[in-house]
Amino acid sequence: MRILGGLGDVAAWLGRYLWSGWAGLAGLCCVLAAWQVGHEVYGSFILPSPLETLAALVALMQEPAFLAAARETAWRAFAGFGLAVGLGTLAGAVAGYSFAAMRLMRPVVTFILGVPPIAWIVLALIWFGPTGGSAVVTVAVASLPVSFAGALEGVATRDRALDAMARSFGAGWWLRFRTVTLPHLVSYLFPAWTTTAGSAWKVTVMAELLANAGGIGGELAIARSLFDIPRVMAIVVAVVLFALATEYGLIQPVRDRLEAWRKAGQPWGVRP
Amino acid sequence: MRLALDHIGHGFLGRPVIEDLSLSLAAGEIAALVGPSGSGKTTILQIAADLIEPLSGRVRRHYRRHAVVFQEPRLLPWMTACDNIAYGLRASGTPLRARREAAERRARDVGLAPEDLAKYPAEMSGGMRQRAAVARALAVDPDVIFFDEPFTAVDVGLKRSLQDLVVAAAQREHFAALFVTHDLAEAARIAHRVIVLSAETLGIGTEIPIATPMAERTDRAVFETVEAWSRDPRLAELFDGDRDGQP
Ligand SMILES: Nc1ncnc2c1ncn2[C@@H]1O[C@H](COP(=O)(O)OP(=O)(O)OP(=O)(O)O)[C@@H](O)[C@H]1O
Ligand SMILES: [Mg+2]
Repeated sequence: MRILGGLGDVAAWLGRYLWSGWAGLAGLCCVLAAWQVGHEVYGSFILPSPLETLAALVALMQEPAFLAAARETAWRAFAGFGLAVGLGTLAGAVAGYSFAAMRLMRPVVTFILGVPPIAWIVLALIWFGPTGGSAVVTVAVASLPVSFAGALEGVATRDRALDAMARSFGAGWWLRFRTVTLPHLVSYLFPAWTTTAGSAWKVTVMAELLANAGGIGGELAIARSLFDIPRVMAIVVAVVLFALATEYGLIQPVRDRLEAWRKAGQPWGVRP
Repeated sequence: MRLALDHIGHGFLGRPVIEDLSLSLAAGEIAALVGPSGSGKTTILQIAADLIEPLSGRVRRHYRRHAVVFQEPRLLPWMTACDNIAYGLRASGTPLRARREAAERRARDVGLAPEDLAKYPAEMSGGMRQRAAVARALAVDPDVIFFDEPFTAVDVGLKRSLQDLVVAAAQREHFAALFVTHDLAEAARIAHRVIVLSAETLGIGTEIPIATPMAERTDRAVFETVEAWSRDPRLAELFDGDRDGQP
């Protein structure tokens, strides 16, 4: 009985999830149509057609060398994401709890936010040399302020009445953090994490290209120097696909699970 | 004696709210705390419940544990009714199974149906939420419960049944209660003693014991008690709409 109920839940969730995918697919088709028009106006050398690109993409996905490069980039993007989210969230949460810490850290973060990612790449190249490390550091530093701001905002706007309720039952700070602050914080963190995940891929590729440090960025540099335009397009599409897969395959499902309680209040979320 | 406040003084931003206030609460006693708006009822309750530190005076507690029922239910929106009711037990480290069982029992006590336990607060009516808040307080088997105008936002019928529920639970489980209210009929129905705060003296104006046994507090008896109070000069401040500083 319970297992069946659980399966039903999963099926309902999957249905909703796929249904929302249709709307996205329609938008995507519009983009493809515009792309085809551009191709017919400018020709293959400037803008290869979507079909050519697809063929190049399929070929690309079968190259062991590219897959190895993609794994390398994924690993760097992931490490940068983890550092940015971990440090940013931690510092933001501390700043949210402590007024003094907030006064101290806010200008630093505003400063970091003002520096363009490309400048971080240059600095990282000088400090760490042309290695994967520079890509990781660039992602981490460039994306840190977003998580910081999200965590700060989330902790600062926590419900103090609920906190007082928890204290009245003698709940310690750790339990209060987990049950009162964190669920509220999560709704501030997910937008930050989505942004960070997207920019982690982009910034990693950019850093790799500039640092000549292999990975997808390295592949892109080689394709560019060979004027293999369909391949360049295919790599671009591949990066977009990886970023999308990270968001919809990893972050959104986690979010849906953690925020199931929100659905409860919505009229269409009435559960059986 | 369960709880004693000795010579408590408190204020906010340099403005005193209560001065040199002393009160005590005996085991099993329900004391109603009434007073004009802004006279410091919530402040006293928070001091008694250890949610804020008084600026002067001290609080003596002779009990194992207390619980608070707030004016709003204050349920955690991301937890089901069951987990909300069990929250106090979770804070004290009760194992999951025992928590669940206690929550189920308490939900029954306050008139929540078993299927309501799986609901999130957003799926419950206002009355169900306040029932869950009362169940959460009862679930920790407290010796003292602090109520801060808990039933002001519910309709008359539900108010009656929640009041009866509190009286019955107090008799069954012998907890003492400090019950803040601005509704004299509520005080006349549930309390053994009414403590009247005065905005003028920044402390207790008067205390009125109610001798009528709980079983004999019919609507008529409650009405007559409140009627008698309305002629009582000691309670004049409560009935007087145009006090200083109040519109
Ligand atoms: N956190 C606070 N900061 C500043 N002033 C406060 C604070 N809490 C209460 N006060 C002030 O203290 C006074 C007493 O407040 P309190 O909430 O105890 O009144 P009350 O008797 O519970 O009133 P009511 O019946 O309207 O709930 C009020 O004048 C209020 O403005
Ligand atoms: Mg109040």
